[in-house]
Amino acid sequence: MSNSLKTSRRTFLKVSGTAGGGLILGFNLYSCSTMPDNPIFSNLEINAFILINGDGTATIKAKNPDIGQGVKTSLPMILAEELDLPWEKVTVEQAELDGRLGSQFAGGSTGVKTNYDNLRNAGASVRDVLVRAAANRWEVNAEDCKTEDGFVISGRNKLHYGHLAEEAAQLELSEAPPLKDPQDFKIIGKSKSDVDIKKIVTGQPLYGLDQEVEGMVYATVLKPEVFNSTLTSFDDVEARKLSGVIDIFKIDAMDNPVNRVDGVAVIAENLWTAFKAKKLIKASWKEPKGYITSLKQLKGDFKKGLAAKGEVLRNDGDVAAEFQKSGNVIEATYEVPFISHSQMEPMNFIADVRENEVFLVGPTQTPGSANALASRITGIPRENIQVKFTRIGGGFGRRLGNDYASEAVFISHKIKKPVKLVWSRENDFLGDLYRPAGCYHFKAAMNGTEVKAFDVNICTTSRYLYRGGSPAHGTEAFPDQQPAGMIPNFRVSYSPLLTNIPVGALRTPGVNATTYAYQGFIDELAEKAGMDPIDFQLQMIGDEDRDMPYSDHGGPTYNTKRLRAVINLVKAKSGWGQVNREGISRGFAAQMVFGTYVACIVDVRNISGKIKVDKVYITADCGRVINPIGAEAQVQGGVTDAISAAFYESLELQNGKPQAQNFDQYQKLRMKDSPEVDVSFIANGEAPQGLGEPSYPILFPALTNAVYKATGKRVRELPLKKHGLV
Amino acid sequence: MAIYNIQVNGERRQVDADPDTPMLWVLRDTLDLKGTKFGCGIAQCGACTVHLDGKAVRSCSLPVSSVANASITTIEGLSENGDHPVQQAWMEWDVPQCGYCQVGQIMTASALLAQNPKPTETDIDQNMSGNICRCGTYPRIKKAILSAAEKGGSNE
Repeated sequence: MSNSLKTSRRTFLKVSGTAGGGLILGFNLYSCSTMPDNPIFSNLEINAFILINGDGTATIKAKNPDIGQGVKTSLPMILAEELDLPWEKVTVEQAELDGRLGSQFAGGSTGVKTNYDNLRNAGASVRDVLVRAAANRWEVNAEDCKTEDGFVISGRNKLHYGHLAEEAAQLELSEAPPLKDPQDFKIIGKSKSDVDIKKIVTGQPLYGLDQEVEGMVYATVLKPEVFNSTLTSFDDVEARKLSGVIDIFKIDAMDNPVNRVDGVAVIAENLWTAFKAKKLIKASWKEPKGYITSLKQLKGDFKKGLAAKGEVLRNDGDVAAEFQKSGNVIEATYEVPFISHSQMEPMNFIADVRENEVFLVGPTQTPGSANALASRITGIPRENIQVKFTRIGGGFGRRLGNDYASEAVFISHKIKKPVKLVWSRENDFLGDLYRPAGCYHFKAAMNGTEVKAFDVNICTTSRYLYRGGSPAHGTEAFPDQQPAGMIPNFRVSYSPLLTNIPVGALRTPGVNATTYAYQGFIDELAEKAGMDPIDFQLQMIGDEDRDMPYSDHGGPTYNTKRLRAVINLVKAKSGWGQVNREGISRGFAAQMVFGTYVACIVDVRNISGKIKVDKVYITADCGRVINPIGAEAQVQGGVTDAISAAFYESLELQNGKPQAQNFDQYQKLRMKDSPEVDVSFIANGEAPQGLGEPSYPILFPALTNAVYKATGKRVRELPLKKHGLV
Repeated sequence: MAIYNIQVNGERRQVDADPDTPMLWVLRDTLDLKGTKFGCGIAQCGACTVHLDGKAVRSCSLPVSSVANASITTIEGLSENGDHPVQQAWMEWDVPQCGYCQVGQIMTASALLAQNPKPTETDIDQNMSGNICRCGTYPRIKKAILSAAEKGGSNE
């Protein structure tokens, strides 16, 4: 027990006793700098973040939304570790929105990374005050007491935490308690099942869709098929004849502060009636000016965008001069389609807007913003708006925006009743915020095996431009993306495109497209150089240990030694270059993604021109792994999810309308095409990083590079289905 | 609306519903059995899978008027204490990520093992490919089914 942690965040701690002799600990995990973002709940009352029960067990609140990334388990594990309480004595409960808990957010693979220090500190503070309570009782020095499995021990004295809780509640908590030496960790680094596992496998009502409030009615919405159309009129005579229909009315684009789109709300006594009534409404829509009618049209727009040579985001050396004098110039254009989130739990939210208070419950990755939006819509102050969030049936970025939560608030406010809004799957496809489509033109000059100049010109349907944010290139083009800084002449240019197709964040926003394009093109350069792709990338990365500046998410730097290490391990694990299996072709890719280093090798078979993924090897360095069984699942899941997108997924348009509005048309990967995924980690003591996203982008190029080896065809446009390869 | 007498999890239940109401909504919103999930509404994703006379069916496309003489089992009735071998295997392998599709996966898997106690990997692939998991838990689902089968998986 040594090395006190230096943290920039201040952790305010409060204790109080309970009637039953327990100890309640309230924590305020926000930093001073983030306080203005949390104007609600500014008081410092106890918020029961940790409860030490009289019997020596503890209840710990899970602060962030769990969308399947496992933070409901991993974050409390960090706290319990420093509390030095056996995991079996811990009960985890979901916190609700509480400004005192700091950022309660699921996105960017940041949950573990941004909470690790604070949660360690919180756990250690509680342990420390229990130790001091014991020392006082036994009249010994605190230094002569130790903790073990939820007991404080000194010589022959031994008491469990519950016996000390009441006395501990009288003491002040320390701001800088002693922390464990990571070598002594008993919970962190040991596999723990999801805390909800039993509830999940027995079908307990964990999700937003399973919630109910007293007196609620059901609502669903009709949306235009051509995205962002305006409602000109609607006829609801037939729909209103259905027994159980309560009301039908227009939602004006301006009624919802997020994703302003016209729609028709249908309110009914039960959901089935609402769904049926929606189908009976005859609505007329006016398409937006210049709407995209087909993907062919979009291709033309990309061409124009690239020709315009947009903003130069990076310009090292002189690429033009190098191209002029080089006799070995290679060019290629890569493209990615719009893809849907298709999270399994359809959009839903419950809103109960009353006289001067609001109750909200549902699945959201950003409960704080749901609170702010509800206040904006109703005029009710934020402190009177309670937000509970549920376990979430898939997020993938779709539940960052709260457009559906706002819709529920608007409806409840209007009809003055609690309402449960549920979108049909068709609503989901018509109301999605798709992964932006993009086009990437590369040009490189080579001298032997050396890349002398690298020029990438990018045009995408920018999500920041779509939602009115800036800069337009944010999460679309990354000026420091590898191999930036490894080639003397290097240029990145970007032009945004604004279309009527709604776009948003999807698992590794932007990086899921650029990684595919960059790492695909680099594989082409390796071939041109006549080198093994892994050797070629290692040569490009160099033998030196360097911290490469990286100005986007995952920065401020990344380390070339760690990048080489994941490459070398995946190479060894897969037997690359050593083992040649009959009929197997292999592809490779590696990169730092959101602070985690990933290297991937994909084995495919070409079965009469169709690609079958035989096995995937992937190595990740995310620093310290908190929960190995959960970590492996995240990496496996990201890879499997990416195979689905790479094989099949693309928003296809017919006269501007999405061809696929449900899973009969929008194909997802099924078990029969899902391969074995061999996951390995680099064990090091580096600061923990996230894992929910990094394995996703790296699969795409590793797969298409393998497809090239198997078929001789460079897949420069996803998905494989488009090329008849699956 | 009409009155239907249906058998759910071994009990006779009387429900008042429109004849075309899918069993999914009868189970969830009338009988308050929220374990069965809504995913697509057109029998494509498998989230709503229940057992109809022991066979895995999609409750989202099964009108209440069609099940009068059949016996329905939902996840709530699969086992007394959540200890069906398939549920146990799911816990052992820590299968779920978001968990939303897993009830449907478990209902399909348990129907498979009841019918075919020692399925091959190909049998599993074929039988499980009607259930979508967007989180990508397929590798663990497969391991869990094989391990449940090994331990004598059907509970019947």
